[in-house]
This record gives sequence, C-alpha cells and structure tokens, in this order.
Amino acid sequence: MPPGRVPFEFDRERKTRALSRRDFFSRVSDGLHGAGLAYLLGSDLFSPNPAIAAAGPARAFDLGAKPPHFEPKAKAVIQLFMHGGPSQVDLFDPKPGLAKYVGKTPSRDLTAVAVSPQQNAGILPSPYRFARHGESGHEFSELIPNIAQCADDIAMIRSMFTGTQNHETALNMIHSGRLLGSRPTIGSWVAYGLGTENQNLPAYVVLDDPKGLPIGGIDNWQAAWLPPICQGTRFRAQGPPVLNLNPRPEWPDGVLDVERRLLRRLDQAHLEKRPHESDLAARISSYELAARMQLAASDALDLEQEDEATREMYGLNDGLTESYGRRCLMARRLVERGVRFVQIYIEQQIWDTHSKLDEGLRYSCGKTDRPTAALMKDLKRRGLLEDTLLIWGGEFGRLPLGQGDPNSRNSLGRDHGPNGFTLWMAGGGVKGGTVYGATDELGNHAVEHPVSVHDFHATVLSLLGMNFRDLVYRRHGLDERLTDQFPARVIDELIA
Amino acid sequence: MIAVVAFVVCALGAGSVAVAGTPPIFAEDIQPVLEANCLPCHGGSAPQQDLDLRTVSSILRGGSSGPVIEIGASARSLLVERIVAGTMPPGDTKLDEGEISVIRDWIDEGVSSETGELGTALVTDRDVLPIFQARCVVCHGKREQRGGLDLRTRESRMEGGDSGPAFVPGSPDESLIIQKVEAGEMPPPDLQYDYAVRNPTDAEVATLRQWVVAGAQPAPENDSSPDPARHLAEADRWHWAFLPPERLAVPKINNESMVSNPVDAFLLRTLEEKGLSYSELAPPLTLLRRAYLDLTGMLPSPSEVERYLGDDRPDRYQALIDELLDSPAYGERWARHWLDVAGHIDTEGFGEYAPRRQHAWRYRDYVIRAFDQDKPFDEFLTEQIAGDELAPWKDQEVTPELIERLAATGFMRTAPDPTWEIEFAFLAERMNVIADELQILGSGVLGLTVGCARCHDHKFDPITHRDYYSLGAILQSAYDPYDWVQPKERELAIGLADEKKEAEEFNAPLETKIKRLEDSLETEAAPYKAKLLEERLSGLPESVRADLRTLSETDEGKRTEVQKYLAKKFKQTLEISTNAVKERFESFSSKAGPIQEQIKETKAQLRPEPGIHALVDMGGEPSTSYLLLRGDALTPGRPVEPGVPAVLETHVEPYRVESPWPGADSSGRRLALARWLTQPNHPLTARVMVNRLWMRHFGRGIVATPDNFGRTGDLPSHPELLDWLATEFVRSGWSVEHMHRLMMTSTAYRQASRKNEQVLAEDPENALLSRMTMRRMDAEQLYDSILRASGRLDPTRFGPPVDLKHSDNGELRAAGSTEGYRRSIYTLQRPRTAISLLEAFDVPQMTPNCIVRNQSNVPTQALHLMNSEWTWELSRYMAGRIIDDVGSGYGEQVRAVFLRTLSRPPSDAEMTESLAALEELRSHWPERLISDRRETPIDSTAGWLALANLCHTFLNSAEFAFID
Repeated sequence: MPPGRVPFEFDRERKTRALSRRDFFSRVSDGLHGAGLAYLLGSDLFSPNPAIAAAGPARAFDLGAKPPHFEPKAKAVIQLFMHGGPSQVDLFDPKPGLAKYVGKTPSRDLTAVAVSPQQNAGILPSPYRFARHGESGHEFSELIPNIAQCADDIAMIRSMFTGTQNHETALNMIHSGRLLGSRPTIGSWVAYGLGTENQNLPAYVVLDDPKGLPIGGIDNWQAAWLPPICQGTRFRAQGPPVLNLNPRPEWPDGVLDVERRLLRRLDQAHLEKRPHESDLAARISSYELAARMQLAASDALDLEQEDEATREMYGLNDGLTESYGRRCLMARRLVERGVRFVQIYIEQQIWDTHSKLDEGLRYSCGKTDRPTAALMKDLKRRGLLEDTLLIWGGEFGRLPLGQGDPNSRNSLGRDHGPNGFTLWMAGGGVKGGTVYGATDELGNHAVEHPVSVHDFHATVLSLLGMNFRDLVYRRHGLDERLTDQFPARVIDELIA
Repeated sequence: MIAVVAFVVCALGAGSVAVAGTPPIFAEDIQPVLEANCLPCHGGSAPQQDLDLRTVSSILRGGSSGPVIEIGASARSLLVERIVAGTMPPGDTKLDEGEISVIRDWIDEGVSSETGELGTALVTDRDVLPIFQARCVVCHGKREQRGGLDLRTRESRMEGGDSGPAFVPGSPDESLIIQKVEAGEMPPPDLQYDYAVRNPTDAEVATLRQWVVAGAQPAPENDSSPDPARHLAEADRWHWAFLPPERLAVPKINNESMVSNPVDAFLLRTLEEKGLSYSELAPPLTLLRRAYLDLTGMLPSPSEVERYLGDDRPDRYQALIDELLDSPAYGERWARHWLDVAGHIDTEGFGEYAPRRQHAWRYRDYVIRAFDQDKPFDEFLTEQIAGDELAPWKDQEVTPELIERLAATGFMRTAPDPTWEIEFAFLAERMNVIADELQILGSGVLGLTVGCARCHDHKFDPITHRDYYSLGAILQSAYDPYDWVQPKERELAIGLADEKKEAEEFNAPLETKIKRLEDSLETEAAPYKAKLLEERLSGLPESVRADLRTLSETDEGKRTEVQKYLAKKFKQTLEISTNAVKERFESFSSKAGPIQEQIKETKAQLRPEPGIHALVDMGGEPSTSYLLLRGDALTPGRPVEPGVPAVLETHVEPYRVESPWPGADSSGRRLALARWLTQPNHPLTARVMVNRLWMRHFGRGIVATPDNFGRTGDLPSHPELLDWLATEFVRSGWSVEHMHRLMMTSTAYRQASRKNEQVLAEDPENALLSRMTMRRMDAEQLYDSILRASGRLDPTRFGPPVDLKHSDNGELRAAGSTEGYRRSIYTLQRPRTAISLLEAFDVPQMTPNCIVRNQSNVPTQALHLMNSEWTWELSRYMAGRIIDDVGSGYGEQVRAVFLRTLSRPPSDAEMTESLAALEELRSHWPERLISDRRETPIDSTAGWLALANLCHTFLNSAEFAFID
C-alpha cells in the first residue's frame, strides 16, 4: 500500500455502516440552489416513523435548533459586509510613517498586487486625523466618529488578509474560504450547524441593498452542496419582503379560503392512499407553513412598530443614512426573533475607492457610520449585544499607494490591498477594546499575527459554540468543513 | 519554480543568517538519514508526489505540494512539519530526535550542498519558461511578436528581436530583457491591463537574473513529470469501474411471467434473493401520465387521455412509447437532461447583466436534433468534443452539416467565461474556465471526480495531480491559458448565406438610424468638449497650454515627436469622453441622456450576424502545459503532456494523438480524446450514460452517484445489469432510443408506486425496484405542464432564446407572445437567476453543470404556485378554454379540469366536492366585479373566474405535481 492511500477497507466500511441522516444529504449532489425561502422545513414536516424518514432522501433535513458543541458565547451573528474593500489606513490602521514616502514606491510588491499598476501614483499618506477613543484608547479616523464612540466594545483585527486582488475571488474567499466559488458560505454553515430558534423565519437572512447586489450576486450567500434550506434568504427592504408572499390582491374575500379548503381535502385524500410518502406530507405542511410565514415575516420587518427615538437613532430621518439604517434596524428585529445569521450588504461596492478617495470615503462612512453605531448601542441597551456577534469588514483593504494621475491629487484613489486589512467584531463574547495583529510600516502586509480567513471563520464558529473541525458535512465520501483542509486557529486572544 | 523562488529570496537574505558551530554536511549528515527512511518512495525515476529527495537541488525543487524546505526556516518547512507530525515516513519506523534535529540544523543553517556550498540551485529554462508564458508571450509569442521578439522557445529566445539578442548568457547587466524587466519597463505598465498581464514579482525578476547568471541553461532532460502509471497500485487498476463492462448471461428466474425483457430478469433475481418481488402493475392512466412526463416532459392532453382509454390494442403501451419517442417534445425533454450535464447557458457570466452568448442556442438546438434523430451516442459525443477536428472546416462551403458539427463543440464552451471583462481575464480566471470544462467532462462523461486532483493527488481514486493537468493539456490547443482568446473573439462568423442576408436586410435601417443618432450626439457634444478642454488646460502652466491646444487640433498622423510625447504625457487631460462631458455639464447631460438611450435601444434590436459558439483548435504549437502546484496558476510545477488518467488506460487502447487529417493545422488532441472515450469496451463511457438514462427513468441510478464511479462513489446496486445495459447500448449502435424502449417496456417500469410495510423494511430506498418511485415533477416538467394544461403552450421549436423580464413585483418571467409561452428549454438560460417559478422548484444553478437535480419541498413553492401572477393568469386562460370546449355545464367543466391537470376523470365523491367548491367560489365573485365596475357581464365573468379558481386549486394540488 503506497503511503497516502486510504486502505480499500474504507469502501466496505462505508457501505455497511448504518446510513445516517447526513449520509442522505451527502447523496444530494450539486445544484441545490434556487429554493429562496427554503427554511421552513421544520421538524413537524417529517413522518415520526424513522424508517420512513430514512426512506426519503436528502430533504429530510430540518432547521430545528441544534445543540452546539460547547457552551456558546454568541447565539446570533449580524455581519455588516463592507463590499468593495474599505481603506484600513484611512479608517482603523493609522500609518503616520507613510509621510516620508509621499509619491514614492518603496517596494515592488506594492504594485505586483495592484489591479492597475500603471496607475500607481506612489505612496499617498492618509489625509485624515486619527484620535484615541474610549478607555482602551485605540485610534479611529475622524471619518467614523460614531463607531469610534463604541471603541471599548470593539475587537479589531488589523492583520486580516485574503491574498487575492479581484473582488470576485476575494468575496469567495471571505465568505466560503476558497478562491473558487461554489462552496457553502459561512452563514449557510452556521444555519446547517445550529438551525434556528424560530421556525417561521429563515435561519439565515440576507438584507441586500435595493441599489444593487454585490459582485457575484446571490453566490455570496449560497449553500452550494449543503442542503438548500441553509442558503441565505433575501428579504427585500421595501414592500413584501419575499416574492409572492401575499395572496392575489384581485381576489374577493373568501376565495382563498375555499381554495385552501379544497386543496387540503384533495391532498389529504391523495396522501391517505399513499400513507408512506413523506414527501407528500411535507408538501401539505409546506402550504400551511407558507401561510404562517406571511405573518411572521411581515411582522419582523415592520419598522413602524419602532418608536421615534429609535428611528432617529438609526438615521431613518436622514436621506443619507435612511437606507442602511433601515436594514440595521431590521437586523436587530430579526435577531430578536431568533434568526441565526443576518448579513447586511451595502450599495454595490461603495468602498471600492479607485478614484476620488475623499469623496468616496465620506459617502460610504456617512451612509454607514451612524446606523452601525446605533445598532451596537441599541443591541447593548436591550441586552442583546452580549450574545449577538457583530462583524464589520470587507473582502480586502486598500493599498497605501495613490491610484490615478499624480498631477491631480484630489482625483487619486487607492487600489485593492489584499495582503493586510482591518476587520472588527463586537459583542457575542469578543473582548472589547482590543487590537490584534498589525500591518507593516506601510500598512500593506499583515506582519504581526496575520489572520487568515480560515482563522477568522474558525473563531466565529467557536464563538457560536462550534468546533470548526467537528462541523462536517459528508460529501463524495469526504468530510467537508468550512475551513476545508487549510490550517486554521481560533484566535483566543479576541475572545473574552 | 516555487522552490527556486524560495531559495532565491532566502539566499539574498542569507548573509544575515548567523552560522553557529559546524553546519551539517549533506553527504555525511543528511543523505544517510534520507536514504534509510525516505528514498524508497521519494527516490528513483518516479518519486511519490514528484518529490525526489536524492540531491540537494532536487530537494530544493520540491514536489507536487510545492517546496518542502524554506532555507533558514526549518519551522516553516513542510519536510520538517511532516516528519515532526509523524505522518512521514508513513510506516512504523519514525525518525528519532537526533535525526530530526540534524535536518533542522541543516535547513536553518543555510542548506549546504553536497560539496558544502550554501544554496546552489541551478536556474534553467524550465524555471523561466513559465514566467515568460505568464507575463510575456501574449505580445512576444504566437499571435504577436512585438519588436520581432518571440519568447516561446529556446531557439527563438536566443535569436532575440529587432534590438538584437535579448540575453547575454552569464551577463545579466548586458542582457536587454533583464534591464527592461528590472527597470519596470517590461511588461509595459500601460499595456498590462489591456493584455490582462500582471507585473512579475520581485522573486520572478530575481529568477530571471539567476537564469542569465547561470548561463541561460536549457531545461534538464526528461523533465516532464514521471509516468504516473508507475504510481498505480495493483488494486487501483482492478476497481470495478475501471474494468471494461462484461456481458454475462441473462439469469433464469422463477417467475418468468414477470419478465418482459432481460432488464427484469436481472432485477427479479436480486429481489427473489431477498424474498421480494415486483409490486402490482400501475393502472393504465397512471402509466400513461408517467410515460408522457418521462419522455416528453409534459402531461398528456385530455384528448390523448381519452384516446388511450379507447385504444384496445394489446400492444397499446408499446405503441405509445414509439409514438412519444417520435414526438418533437421527446427531443426537447431529453435534450434538457443532456444540457444539465453540459451546463448549457446563454450568458457569459453569473450576473444578471453578463453579456449574452449570441449563438449558444445553436448548441441547444444541436442537442435537441440529436435526440430527435437518435444520433448514435458515440457520434454525439465525438462531435461535441471535437467536431472541428472531424474534417476541415476553414474556407469550406457552409452547409447545415458543417454548422451542426461546429455548433456541437459548444459543449466544450458551456462553462461561464468571465474573461470577457478584462478585470477577470487574468491567468487565474482563465484556469478556472478550463477547470470548469474539465469538471463537466469528468462528472458528465467519465463519471469521476477529477476536480479533486486539481490541487493534489486525488485522495481516494488513483487520479494523480499530473493526470488532471494532462487532461487539461488536451484542451490547451484550443483553450491556451497563456495565449488566451476572449469569448467574443472565439465566436465563429460562419453562417448560411440566407441567414446572413436576412440579418443584413433587417439591420440596414437600424444601422442608419444609429449612425444618425451618434452624429447628432457628437454635434451636441462638440462645443461642450471644447469648453471642458479649456477648463482642464486652465489648471496647467501657461507654457504648455498653447502647445496642447495646437496638439488637440492636429490629426494624430501628423503630429511631431514633441507633440506625440505631450499627447502621451497629458493623455488624461486631452482625452475627453462623452461621459466626462455629461458629468461636467448638466445641460449637456439632459440632452445626451435621451439620445444615448435611443442608441442603446436601437442597438438592442440589431440582429447579430449569424455565428457559432464553438471551440476550435487554434492551430500551431500550443504553449507548454504545467502541473500547477496547489492548483495555483502562479506556481507552475513540471511540464505535462496531454493524456488521460493513466489508470483508465490499463485495459483499453491508450490515448494517442494523431493529426486529424494529412497536413491539418489542428493538434488532434481532442479528437484523440473522443476516439479514446468511444472505444466499444471503454470502462466508463457507456456505463455512465446508461446509468444516467436509468436514473432519469427510475429516479435513482444503478450507481446512485452518477458523477462518481470511483471508490468513494456508491457501488452499483445491480452490477451485472449495468454491464449488460452498457454492452447492449454499444451493440445497438449506441442507440439511446433502444435503451428507452428496454427500460420503459420492462415490467419494473410499469409497476405501481405504492409502498407497503414489507418493502419499506426490506428495500427502503427502493434500490432493488420492488416498486416504482414516486417523484415530484422537476421544475421544467411543472412549468411546461402548467402551460400545456392551460392551453397556453406555444409549440414553436428552435432559434434564439426567449427573453426574461421582471414583472412589477420583481418576479422573473419569460416573455410571452400572442401564441402563448414557449417551453422552458427555449427560454434564456442563465447560470444563476432563472425564471422565478423554475428557481423555486430547484432548477439548477450551473456550477458549472448539474448531474443530479435536487428535489426540495419548501414553502416558496407554495407561495409561487398560490400567489404568483403567472399561475393566476394561466388559470384564467385554462378556464376560458374549458368553457370554450365544454360550455357552461359545471359537471363537464369539473371533468375537464380533472382531465387537464390530473389526466384522469373524477370519482363521484370528487365530483360532488368540486362542484360544491365551484358553487361557493362563484358566490364570492359578483360583489367584487360589481364594485370594480367591470364592463364584462357579471354572471358569466363570475362563472369564468370561479372556474379559474378551481383550475388554480388543481394546479396547486399534490397530485398534479407528483408523478405516481
């Protein structure tokens, strides 16, 4: 037997082992998507007879709440995804030393990762002032005064890296741990591992921006080969949150009831003649659940129920912050109702400041700073922050170089910087007021305690009470993990 | 190469490594340890994982996992990591502390060579060719030789270009290319983006210098990765799926009356062994509905139901199968299955706004026609893999046959190709396109998870990392990652003269209109442009202003050297785009907007020139293919030759490349693959296809993992049946229809689907086929059946896809016409966002293809069917047609609803209940109609809408959506 080969007994063992539920899921191959609201398959859908349940293939999966591997610090996650790549040296990672290189290119590696090296305008020091905040005294840029007020709740990683300079691959990396797409995203792994407390709402909700999807669109919350019910469900910010949630408006009262009644009779009769078909039973329940969901989803997203002070706090009365503020407030309402993982996306990739750095940053910060801080404060005053993990960050950072025509300083932007950037977390058991890791003198490369995406993923799972090695899904005879085969480490230094 | 990089980087810093004590000497301290423990596997001419631990230079070169040591850093060296972790050596004998420590010291203290020198890895052509391929050959290679320089071969490199020799061996500072690269002039920064080339890294630049210093030596002999066949363990060659199918005698069984054909004999033998047998036969109408949905993807019409009931021929079922196989709907249904395998899509990328593949529908039509004609599967496969290499196609008379043959190769171009956008046109993305195509070939044709070997040797199957890149190299002469062709340029402008003429005539007036609009836009813009230029100039020193002004008025061809220089330097100032003007001047923007909108709209109406979405050989010598370490395009390992996984060549003719025809300028690599795959005794091709056909008919493959016949896949439930079918398939001349007849006329297929306690206990997954499996309609069956039941199906075949559009509530629907809606296969296919209803019912996302459809059961489906505008619209249409057909009698109407949706008449109880519901529905409508102040008569409108509600209810019923 050559080294590295699995002994042939492996096959036999697999064939004779009693078929577990996960084995069934692993039989369901690719192409699991498309079930936008696939979350309501509660345990009540399944036949109580295990032999019959076992006879059905993968669909016998549910999102009922499941015990974590150990006592969790966080029960829910809100990820504020900052698409485009926020500039760390202008926001969280002050580098006064850049001043001495103005207009110069001190290392060739800077341009080797640039998307547009021909537009290199040399080092561009940050034009913004940084000040110390909170008892912890960490520095924040003047662009984010509200977030800075929460300094003591924030655990900052200044040494994240994704290592790839394209948005698409970097998005794949940060969400699923691999450059290539088509792998389950962290939200879907969490839904798979923990299910949800509220069977009338999805486990994993995505609040995307009405002005456009991120690059890669719905891939960013895909379940790939995990059961499709683990996929992120998009809730629209305005109108009915879900497509076709409400009955036909042109129908007179009563018509819907007659249809439902007749349908139930027809289906029950059909099922009675086929007593062992769990699929048919699931089908009937899914119609009932659809009706229940209509109420639950509408209620969760009804911001009219919030008082004026809260609406003001989130910036709902200000044109600039209104859109993002709404989604932050919705996120809180969803987490309150037991949703496990909420992801808020932002207007396309507004942090992608290739030109006009100042204009871009002032817009993005103006739009998000206040609602983000409001969400932290609101969660805190309601006692939700301690077990809700907030994650703020993008798919990469930016280079310390200016990008564009060096003769026109005001038009300069910054190119993608994948080798070192800042991501922060708050609540959910993280140690507030900490800074972990550091970039080099230029703010380009993570040099002190570099944190890979796999480390980050392992840490998030750990906060949720899961061991990244043990959260597995069996597929093609292999145990798949969020961190795949890559080395990963839970960053204990960030955990309270 | 990475080993060299690591070496160089560290060697540069080696000066700072403090050498304490006596560093270990390789020959004395290290070699004996390696010899005793490692060389049995990592020595000789075919070392495991391509890692040869015999010499210092081979150790530095690393293996298929990349470098194994980092000079000066034993803690980061894979070699040490594995030894310390105890995973190496794999046996019981491990290295002791002393041995480990001496290896650590050797690495930490600079890696002394055999002769005691520190760090002497020889950099040769082998190490620099991948750099040239990745960074240079796009301008200095096959298609362009800028400056007369071609960097592809050793000879052409040595010859140099217009400026003389590019290198002076041994003298880096006199070598032009070293000067240019080190100065950052090459690759030229201003061209890098347009050519999708990235700057070389510092390490690569250092490697180039090292190479010249070392005398620009040729690559070592026999450099290709060693023959992987030597890695194969004997047991690997005897995995059942790697042996040719064997045709055993059809078994004799006790209950012969149940045997309709040999399929039953094999199945019943297994059932009898378990004390089981078949279930009773399905009732005729159940079977009729099943056969229609299975072969045509749609329900029978009421008249077809009535006709079948009235047919008293004993062979009416066999006749039905023949009739359905002849129907156009059959080709459309089974083409859909194959398009899943192929991952056919009509757009280039994932986003909703990714550009259209204007001609991809020809491939879809090719597939439909192939099923229509029962094209032999070996021919079908060959045309798809290498239609261009079957006969000359350049400068030939354009015939429908030629177009078909080229359109067939669309199979090799289904994977999303994001390289249309320059930002995604770099090496890594190109490699992804190729990887997707290999994924399709692997999962769809070979039934193997070859993709697992992209980053390392397959963990379970004997498919090596090298096998993977050899398979990739088969595509290299068409998809050359180092000499990439953007998808748009790949489209062949080949079409029938008639089609061309028709398009031209159609487009002529539109083009005139576009020209007129563009002229008027230019006229509007001119004064603003001048104004903007002045504004920009005012920010510049007085001295240059006048010069730039003159410059902007001088034609490009007539400019002086100084002017040319200025033009380049002030490019961003001088170039004024319409958009820049729009941004600056509100007044212009408001005028330009509507004109630009009109231009856009008119352009959208243009009919594309006829063309073919094909993959063809690019001719000439393709660039060298590499094994990519960890699958990373930027870390090429050893070169590889085109080939197929060695384990599959054990029992059949090997893969052999020949020129497709005498003097052909086409490599023949893909044709060789097709020929190799379609050998009659190929272990996988026929098995994988018959298994797929079986899965589509019975709901589960004989091998339940149709994309994985390898060792982690499921074993066949009926291995002898699978082999019998595979050989029967080949014997029948690879006739797919013959296989349908065999499977569908078997008694097994005609069983009822009811489960009882015994089969639940003995055959819970129905692997033995003790009954038929009940299934939910798949997305297309449901969509097409709703159309057919409602009478709104437009049966038009072929041609460009039907557009999708969003309705007001955000639902994505196919556009309809006065003829109705066309079958789902003719709607625009995208890798992600599909028609909302299809999406809810698990239409696959093509990532990049789909072998098994999911069958979920979720509330979204209920929401779509209950609440969508589309189902309600079709329900109203159906009600209208029913009233037209049977008049206003409620009983007749209810009967018609049953026949249209459930393909059966109602029972008495069902009739009573439905009539009551219809009555009640009818009572609700008049009040609404009156308050709406409808112009239509209240009474008959209420009757129609109530009937529509009844239709709507039945379209939502479980019985409608499930196939018994």
